[in-house]
Amino acid sequence: MKTKNLIRAGLIPGIFLLFFMMSCTKLDQKVYSVVPDQDFWQTPDQIAAGLAPAYQGLTGIPDGDLFEINESSGGEMIVPTRGNDWYDNGSHQAMWTHTWKPDLGTLDGIWGTIFNGIGKANFTLSVVNALPTPPPGLDNINAELKVLRAYYYYLAMDMFGQVPVVTDFNTDPTTINNSMTRAQIFDFIEKEVKDNIALLPDKSQASYGRMTQWGAWMLLAKMYLNAQIYTETTPGNPSTGTARWADCINACDQVINSGKYTLQANYFDNFSINNEGSSENIFVVPFDKVNIGGMNWEMQTLHYQHNLTYNLSGSPWNGFCSKADYYNQFDNADQRKAQFLVGQQYGSDGSALKDIQTGLPLILSPYVNQLSNPADSFRLAGVRSVKYQPQAGTAGNQSNDMVLFRLADAYLMRAEAKVRSNTDLTGALADINKIRERAYGDANHDWTLADLTLPNIYAERQREMAWEGWSRQDAIRFGTFGNARNPGKAQDPDAHLQIFPIPSPRISANPNLKQNPGY
Amino acid sequence: MISNRLLKALILCPILLFLAIASQAQTKTITGKILDEKGNPIVGASIVVKGGKSGTTTDATGHFSLVAPAATTAVTISYIGYASQDLDVTTQSSDVSISLQPTNSNLSDIVVVGYGTAHKKDLTGAVAVVTAKNFNQGNVTNPVQQIQGKVAGLVITTPGGDPNQPPLIRLRGQTSLTGGQNPLIVVDGIALDDPNQLNNIPPSDIQTYNVLKDASATAVYGARGANGVIEITTKKGVSGQARVDYNGYVGVDVNAKKYDMLSAGQWKSALQSLGIDPGSLDKGANTDWQDAITRTAFSHNHTLAVSGGSKGFTFRASGSYLNQQGIVLSSGKEEFGLRFNATEKALNDKLNIQIGVTTTQTNRNLINYNDLTKIFNTPPTYPVYNDDGSYFYFSDFEQYNAVAHLNQEVNYAKEYLTLMYGTVDYQFFHGLTAGVTGSINNFNGQDHYFVPAFPVEATINQATDDNYNTDSRHGNIHINYLNQFGKHNIGFTGVYEYNYYTDNGMNIHGQNFLVPQNQDNNFSSAIDASQTSANTGKDEYKLISFLGRVTYNYNEKYYITASYRRDGSSKFGVNNRWGDFPSFDVAWRITQEKFMQGVSWLSELKLRAGYGVTGNSDAITPYATLLLYGPIGRFYDPANSVYPQAYAPIQNANPDLKWEERHGKNIGLDYGILNSRINGSVDYFDDKTVNLLFDYTVPVPPFFINSILANVGTLTNKGVEFSINADIVRGRKFTWNAGGQITFLKTRIESLSGTYAGYPIKTDQIGSGTAVGRGLSSYPITYLTPGYAPYVFYLPHFEGVDANGNQLFDSAGVKALTQDQNPNPTKYYIDPSPKFNYGINNTFTYGNWTLNFFMRGVVGQKIFNNTRLDFDNINRLPGNNVTKEALTNGIKDAAAVSDLWLEKASFLRMDNASLSYTFQHVKGIESLRAYVAANNVFVITPYKGLDPEIQTQDTNIGGTTNQAYIDVSYYGNAFYPKTRSFTLGVSVSF
Repeated sequence: MKTKNLIRAGLIPGIFLLFFMMSCTKLDQKVYSVVPDQDFWQTPDQIAAGLAPAYQGLTGIPDGDLFEINESSGGEMIVPTRGNDWYDNGSHQAMWTHTWKPDLGTLDGIWGTIFNGIGKANFTLSVVNALPTPPPGLDNINAELKVLRAYYYYLAMDMFGQVPVVTDFNTDPTTINNSMTRAQIFDFIEKEVKDNIALLPDKSQASYGRMTQWGAWMLLAKMYLNAQIYTETTPGNPSTGTARWADCINACDQVINSGKYTLQANYFDNFSINNEGSSENIFVVPFDKVNIGGMNWEMQTLHYQHNLTYNLSGSPWNGFCSKADYYNQFDNADQRKAQFLVGQQYGSDGSALKDIQTGLPLILSPYVNQLSNPADSFRLAGVRSVKYQPQAGTAGNQSNDMVLFRLADAYLMRAEAKVRSNTDLTGALADINKIRERAYGDANHDWTLADLTLPNIYAERQREMAWEGWSRQDAIRFGTFGNARNPGKAQDPDAHLQIFPIPSPRISANPNLKQNPGY
Repeated sequence: MISNRLLKALILCPILLFLAIASQAQTKTITGKILDEKGNPIVGASIVVKGGKSGTTTDATGHFSLVAPAATTAVTISYIGYASQDLDVTTQSSDVSISLQPTNSNLSDIVVVGYGTAHKKDLTGAVAVVTAKNFNQGNVTNPVQQIQGKVAGLVITTPGGDPNQPPLIRLRGQTSLTGGQNPLIVVDGIALDDPNQLNNIPPSDIQTYNVLKDASATAVYGARGANGVIEITTKKGVSGQARVDYNGYVGVDVNAKKYDMLSAGQWKSALQSLGIDPGSLDKGANTDWQDAITRTAFSHNHTLAVSGGSKGFTFRASGSYLNQQGIVLSSGKEEFGLRFNATEKALNDKLNIQIGVTTTQTNRNLINYNDLTKIFNTPPTYPVYNDDGSYFYFSDFEQYNAVAHLNQEVNYAKEYLTLMYGTVDYQFFHGLTAGVTGSINNFNGQDHYFVPAFPVEATINQATDDNYNTDSRHGNIHINYLNQFGKHNIGFTGVYEYNYYTDNGMNIHGQNFLVPQNQDNNFSSAIDASQTSANTGKDEYKLISFLGRVTYNYNEKYYITASYRRDGSSKFGVNNRWGDFPSFDVAWRITQEKFMQGVSWLSELKLRAGYGVTGNSDAITPYATLLLYGPIGRFYDPANSVYPQAYAPIQNANPDLKWEERHGKNIGLDYGILNSRINGSVDYFDDKTVNLLFDYTVPVPPFFINSILANVGTLTNKGVEFSINADIVRGRKFTWNAGGQITFLKTRIESLSGTYAGYPIKTDQIGSGTAVGRGLSSYPITYLTPGYAPYVFYLPHFEGVDANGNQLFDSAGVKALTQDQNPNPTKYYIDPSPKFNYGINNTFTYGNWTLNFFMRGVVGQKIFNNTRLDFDNINRLPGNNVTKEALTNGIKDAAAVSDLWLEKASFLRMDNASLSYTFQHVKGIESLRAYVAANNVFVITPYKGLDPEIQTQDTNIGGTTNQAYIDVSYYGNAFYPKTRSFTLGVSVSF
């Protein structure tokens, strides 16, 4: 009797419990503020929003580390250590002195910026082509993404040489390696662009900030201009590479002769806060002080007290500058000289500024005689760039759109290619003088055929394209990259420094990657 | 209908049967009074018939009355903190009186051990118990400060003096690289959703802490047990007369230490000797900016509790109020708490219903830590105020008037925490109880932030409001069985548990308001509405678990415990939804053996050994396994000139993702000597965490983003813990009790390599902490490196300065400059982790006086003094202030990272000292005690910073704070200074 009751007493609730438990083991889960991938890509707006990220990687290109290393290693710009500022474990100095190592964090960041863009493009391509209902204009979408990806690969190939090329998002990660040579990557990029260029959008309001046919021709022009370097079989010896001057001239012709772009009468209008209206800019990265941050030109270069000049809402960082030997390439009649600040600086109220912390008058000097100097006066060393107009009320995150390709570069490239291939020198002279006439406001400073030398063209490029990210590439092409430079840069031991090392974290993440020679 | 009737019959049948058996027996009534060693009545002591089931507790006057079977020969009397005694009732059974003797061993204490209870003597895992009488006293605002330093293996660090800063709690070392490190906190059987919510429980409501340390003890908490478990039991009522308790204190806090910065006079003479004209930098004032932002802070705390009950019903209700100022201007905390719990027994005590509700409101006055950074930058010649009393405003790189900012920035939070639970248990027959528990946790936080526009600084006003809710529901069904068959004691626990968690929040930000007086209360007044942004978010997850545990002991001599938990969580990847967490342990009470009977001085010796598997799923967010799309900023739509949101993958999918798994082995020994006058335990543990989660770098493409959270890597924790407690003097008038604990711990990263979906993931060295300061960014100085402790330093060796004051560093055996000449000096690994830490407690009583002091310390620790690296540099002059050491250390070049700044940071701190007086026989008052207490009385350390327990940097890995051994420097984040506090308190019952 007792045992029976015991069993019943335990058993009945036990059965109920068991039943209850079995019905309650479902681990279903809802998502609320994020979306699993299969639930996205439903509306045209979602498709537009999904295509945009491939472009978003561009915001890291014209400003920041990638820009700094290309300008500083080529010699146009220097970032000296002022007191304690801008030491950052020697990373800025290493860019100037060419003493970078594979573990330089800056390089890893640059690699990340470029390959993030490639990854987004690959992913987007894989998704849009797998949608149950193909979006309208799928061919154009594919072409645009592929050429945009080709632009990222061009950056990667230009800086890191032999990089891994992945075009299919669903690639098995263990198969990824960098066995393609720089020349093979060059061919790949060229083919991608040429195969798709006809499907790209034309210049229009709607294609502003996107990869158009004309941006693609500019990309090809850049590729052909440096083709000898990219394809050379002996590093540092361009004559072992294949020159493509005629292709370069043709690509520039396409852009110039299209009639879609004209030189902007005022050089600085290309870089103003509201430079969307420029008739010269071909490929830009839109920025906006509220919506698209990351354009910090004013902060990087201006002195701590320049906020009083430009009514900035924060004190700038006193970093990027240029030295006298570069600055002095501008003569006084050259309107482009005004992009650099030198001498006594004034507040917006007209008062002469002082460096608050040292009490020294804020007189910027073009002389940067050391890489590092704790002296108070060194805070004032170097000329500063206001090429991109500082924006009152901001402290970084300016609204100026940054320029990747513009028409003036097409003229300069075409002239250089003609001179290097010794064809149509009159045409080359006309191209250069077009640029100079705008710079000086008249024809009194035009060149003659005798002026049309490579060193002169290099100098003109350095003036016209100042701080636009071409310094390293141009220096390599004109053979000055390895030269000793003051302060503190020795002659490069060999040409391996023309290509940056593959960042060590990338090799450790993918042991299939082979380090570039010399590192 | 039929089944309903049948069910009723089935349930009632055994009840009636038992009632019948009980009423048939002959009974007798035993009455008496239980006193403590001083002759005071003990309230709530338990009296149980020896070998039987019936029992009762003493009332408020210490009296009891127990109806027992006529055959009863003895009753067992027990009370927490006192040795149990058997009382012979064969001859005298009415008006018996007995005095209990206090004990340290607490062997018969009931200990809460995950979904059940056990006598301390029967425990087989490493469990430490701290009861209210051993709590730290004084200005304790976060409950765990009550047991800081008291438990071997439990390290509690309060990094700064901010009343709103949660303490760091680490049990047996760091177990994870990305996941949370705080132990699971369980209050009255209900797990808190966030360990930091403990901050919202009034300390004076807590009765005991049980710290479950080893994996065999915590395995019953499965995927949440890897960091250890702290089970908190709150105070309950006892039946008898109503009782009123009041606890209260007032306290003051002062700044414990300041950096030795230059005064205006010293600053001027330093400039003079450097040949610098201060010019306009000399504003004529002499301001100690560290003093300017701090104050003597006052606090007061009051708790009033009413408890009592009648037969079968007990309750306790308490209300508490805390008001604590912070020593930094505008910081502070105010907390209102209300708690109620009750127990009702019915159906002849077979039905047991418990309910409890806790609700607290916390008002936090927060500060922007960035303001603190400015006080070391600003020259001492700058005044705080103009002559007319208005603020003196100024602006330069990383400089503004910190006092003006602290006083005018609006930064406060309101937090509401509600915990509700109910449990119904029914004893179906002797030994078998089954029941259900349900609970709800609701947390709501509201942050309000408004920064006005400051003159001269050219900033605009802006405001941010946040509102977030963390809610959860829990339910379980449990069965407990415990019975004795001769010398065999068998127990079983079975639990099914269901947990549902959901978070949601909203955030709104706006700027440039037309009417700044409205602060954050009128976002629509923004001049440019396009600058106002709003965001919302929500997520959820579920955790479903099954648990079984079997305990067996033979004659209270040989013990075996085995448990098995199966956890399923929707957070885990589809390939790893369910995890298994077993444990197995054995114990042997050697003193129960016959051959030990002759060894009378050894009263208790128990050997324990256990193995268990626990999980840490904390690093996994609810949707961490999915490929997710999310907003990644805006893009320009040129056709419409608008900036729509861009969407992209924000997370790689990882369907294999699962919890980190800690495999723990523990061998322990509990001992009691001279009738437990000396007692304690020794434990050795060897834990290994596998499937370590980390955000590993993966190539893009083919991955969408360059990191993936994956289970790769292994970490070990090995250590030894000793604890001892002794009644050194046990006089009638004078007693001296001393106790202490010491913990040796070694944590090593074994491996950071593995595979994800067949793809090898390998990282030899993961950079984590970086030195911060002007010109110091970019490179990590601490690393996660296999073979070393986490956050091992990798630093150049400082070799002095050359004639020009340039720092010299070792470069392959040669002294060399850094900066231009030698950017790559030789670097060395230096392990900063402590060798051991310890705590020592002493309590003296003399008559009615009690003196207690508690010291704790750490030996072998090193901390990188980032603050001195930045301030001990003469280049900061004249625009920024420097320490006095900057004038004498000879360094004239830029601040550079080296082992010079890695300082020894061992310390001995007198953490807590109190003196109390108990008033005897005050009319109308049952007990009255008054005390003075001091916290952080002194600290002895070679560390040159503010405090060796200063806040250290977040390691920026997964957003969790880990002990990174780099102090948070003035630059960017700053610290809240530590305080020294003095309190005057009283506790009274009537």
